[in-house]
Amino acid sequence: MLRIRQFYTLAVLTAVESIRQPICLLLTTACVLLIGLTPVLLLHQFGEDGKLARDSGLALHFVFGIFIACYTASSCLAREMRTGTASAVLSKPVSREVFFVAKFAGIVVVIFMFSSCAAIATLLSERVSMKFSMEPAVVGYVTDGLTGGMLLLAPFVAFLLAGLLNYYRKRPFESTAFGLLLAMLIVVLLVSGFFERTGQFSPYDLRIHTGIISMSAMVTLALVVISSIAITLSSRLNIVPTMIICSAVFLLGLMSDYLFGQKALDSTLFLVIFSLIPDWQNFWTLDVLKDGGAVPWRYVMHAAFYAVSYSAGIMLLGLLSFSRKEMR
Amino acid sequence: MSEQTVVEVKGLVKVFKDFWQRPKVKAVDNLDLSVQRGEIFGLLGPNGSGKSTTIKILLGLLNATEGDVKILGHNPHDVKVKEKIGYLPEESYLYGYLTPRETLNFYGRLFGLESGVRKERISQLIEMVGLSHAADRAVGEFSKGMARRVGLAQALINDPELIILDEPTSGLDPIGCRQVKDLMLALVRRGKSIILSSHLLADVEDVCDHVTILYNGKKQAYGRINELLEDSDRIRLTMPELSPEKMKTLLSEIKKKTGSTPEVDRPSMNLERFFLEVVDKANESAVHQTGAVKTEGVAEYLNRQ
Repeated sequence: MLRIRQFYTLAVLTAVESIRQPICLLLTTACVLLIGLTPVLLLHQFGEDGKLARDSGLALHFVFGIFIACYTASSCLAREMRTGTASAVLSKPVSREVFFVAKFAGIVVVIFMFSSCAAIATLLSERVSMKFSMEPAVVGYVTDGLTGGMLLLAPFVAFLLAGLLNYYRKRPFESTAFGLLLAMLIVVLLVSGFFERTGQFSPYDLRIHTGIISMSAMVTLALVVISSIAITLSSRLNIVPTMIICSAVFLLGLMSDYLFGQKALDSTLFLVIFSLIPDWQNFWTLDVLKDGGAVPWRYVMHAAFYAVSYSAGIMLLGLLSFSRKEMR
Repeated sequence: MSEQTVVEVKGLVKVFKDFWQRPKVKAVDNLDLSVQRGEIFGLLGPNGSGKSTTIKILLGLLNATEGDVKILGHNPHDVKVKEKIGYLPEESYLYGYLTPRETLNFYGRLFGLESGVRKERISQLIEMVGLSHAADRAVGEFSKGMARRVGLAQALINDPELIILDEPTSGLDPIGCRQVKDLMLALVRRGKSIILSSHLLADVEDVCDHVTILYNGKKQAYGRINELLEDSDRIRLTMPELSPEKMKTLLSEIKKKTGSTPEVDRPSMNLERFFLEVVDKANESAVHQTGAVKTEGVAEYLNRQ
């Protein structure tokens, strides 16, 4: 029972500590704003309504997520070992296994919060982007300016409210703003359901591409895998080498099928390499979203099984490394 | 290992190695130690003498290269034994984004303290270390001395049997130093054992029963502090003020009897006591204080039998 309480306490602390770091808030805000601006920046749709906004949103989700995952993992383990907070905690009745796995759980919480923001922003951005309208009021290409405006305004409102709470209630700005940003995005998503894409009031209908939800879940699973690699590396390396190796794994993983997968059937060496490097293509199935399609939840469950198994294997290596690590 | 021995170290050696596993530094060299229940044990030595390394081995944070270490009768890597230990690290290793209240709550939870007990202890400890007015400010904004006070409070949250304090007074003002020393004496009166690592000789001299002096990782001296410091060839006499005539008579009489001229001086108040008196006076008229404040006494729960 004590171990479970310790696990919960350490995981919550890791999540709180991470979202109180300005870089986490900055990356999430930048990601949301860039996703929100995509429909404005993309002038051509190449005949595919919402595809570019959707693809760009998910790509931004992935790239910013990798930075957040690597930075959070490094800062919560490598930095804690360097600054000594890990020693202080491990001098208490906390086993190294609980400490290590709880740190990972805390990072996963941060990844989920970030992914929720990015996923909602992508859903809204896709709704905002220029689409052909057949409604009686407007026939032709329409951009949902009202929702777009609310989406771009959401981070500023969140920051303003967090500033006021910091001034009057002394609430920590970064974590409050992070929480409010997520809350504001949910509000925008719900409120936008009351309006047509043309901005006219209408019976409630969210008018979103629900396929993006399962695709965002897949990106989130990929980020969980990257986090497990980052935290395992952080048990021995500092933030810069961790970032470099994670970036290399990301690039290799994108080309894994092409580089190793095709030769894996003939060569044991290639089979081993192909099995060791995560195959991001398993999580990146954008083409399915065309014409309102969605990644089947059954496939998402398969991907989740792959992500959990892979992360568990990597975490075991990390645990082995961390259990022998001396806390200087 | 007897019931009364809380820490026993025999032939401890610690060698730090480089990336290629080649020996780099011998931080502790064949060290023997024995700390008894209810005493304040001083680990004294200059920087780099192996004090902190020894402490980290006692806590299972570092692995001994050779030797046998027992803490409260257990192996230092036994997680369970740490429930009875309080540790203040050399630097106050605290989470900068947490407030003192959150920090103590966090450590209280790691010990599995129930909510009511935790709340009671947190408020008493915050009061004891003089940070009531800053309990909801992030620790990262604190001065070194204020962070040290939070570090001290976290070391006591579990009402430990054995308290290991690594340079507890570093960064503290004279008021804080005196409070820490008074706290140590109060804890020992309750039967707690303390290992005090310091290079501040005055601190060790004021409170320790036994002391081990380390240099270059080796034990250079060990014993009861008053025995180590006593000058057995000389005595000191203190008496009320005398008139010049009486003094002259007394000195000539002593010279006649002993054949040597005694040294005469006036006892002076030590600077620490003088400083504390000045602060006490200032405290009476103080209106507002932003740093740590002087408080009286020890947290109530630490005084309970």
